[in-house]
Amino acid sequence: MAGHDAGTQHQFTGIAKYFNAYTITGRRNCVLATYASLAAIALFFKLKPKKKPAVTEK
Amino acid sequence: MTLSFFDQFMSPTYLGIPLIALALSLPWILYPKPTTRWLNNRLITLQGWFINRFTQQIFQPLSLGGHKWAALLASLMLFLITLNMLGLLPYTFTPTTQLSLNMAFAVPLWLATVIIGMRNQPTHALGHLLPEGTPAPLIPVLIIIETISLFIRPLALGVRLTANLTAGHLLIQLIATAAFVLLPLMPTVAILTAVLLFLLTLLEIAVAMIQAYVFVLLLSLYLQENV
Repeated sequence: MAGHDAGTQHQFTGIAKYFNAYTITGRRNCVLATYASLAAIALFFKLKPKKKPAVTEK
Repeated sequence: MTLSFFDQFMSPTYLGIPLIALALSLPWILYPKPTTRWLNNRLITLQGWFINRFTQQIFQPLSLGGHKWAALLASLMLFLITLNMLGLLPYTFTPTTQLSLNMAFAVPLWLATVIIGMRNQPTHALGHLLPEGTPAPLIPVLIIIETISLFIRPLALGVRLTANLTAGHLLIQLIATAAFVLLPLMPTVAILTAVLLFLLTLLEIAVAMIQAYVFVLLLSLYLQENV
């Protein structure tokens, strides 16, 4: 695209070095992090203990 | 037995014997094999020219690794275009109106392209799930959207072919029935309907060829992303 920098010209520091939307490895890491987060959320809800309703005596 | 407009899409059987295998093997017997002669006859030359031209067209943007798919995609194209065109003959069953057949082509071939991508260049394959330059807050949303669009591809491939052919055949039958029914009642309208039917048939011939081409083209594009 006109005026758009090439991915190789970006100089990232800190966490942006590993997770950014410009370099191919940055994009890959973002994708893997998103999948890992979704898996963690799913696992959390699956392993969460279910509350049993209280038994009331009539 | 009450006939409905959907009877044309029923898988053909004769005395309980399914004829789908015969319907699917028909394209194979229609194409003569090239001989060992240096110069073949006109039909085989034309056939060879078409296959070579088509293969060149499809595989030009692909890298060398993707060229292994040439025989597969060329034969798939020939198969689909023949089934589609034969189905336009009256009272002929069109196997590509069956979703099961189209999904049986789409899902394994799409899955093969994805597995090839993940195996040979996993970074590129995963990186393509996030468009370049996405703003940070949109990253997770866009990854989910791109993943969904990735998995929808085989479904879209199969359903596109099925829906186009089914809709076309249904329209032809409806308009033909209308022209036939209107003939004793309103002959002028019946003639106009017949003209419409003729134009629709021409359109369906184009759709038959285009849909086969689009199916194979999209598969080659998915392969291009992963090779």
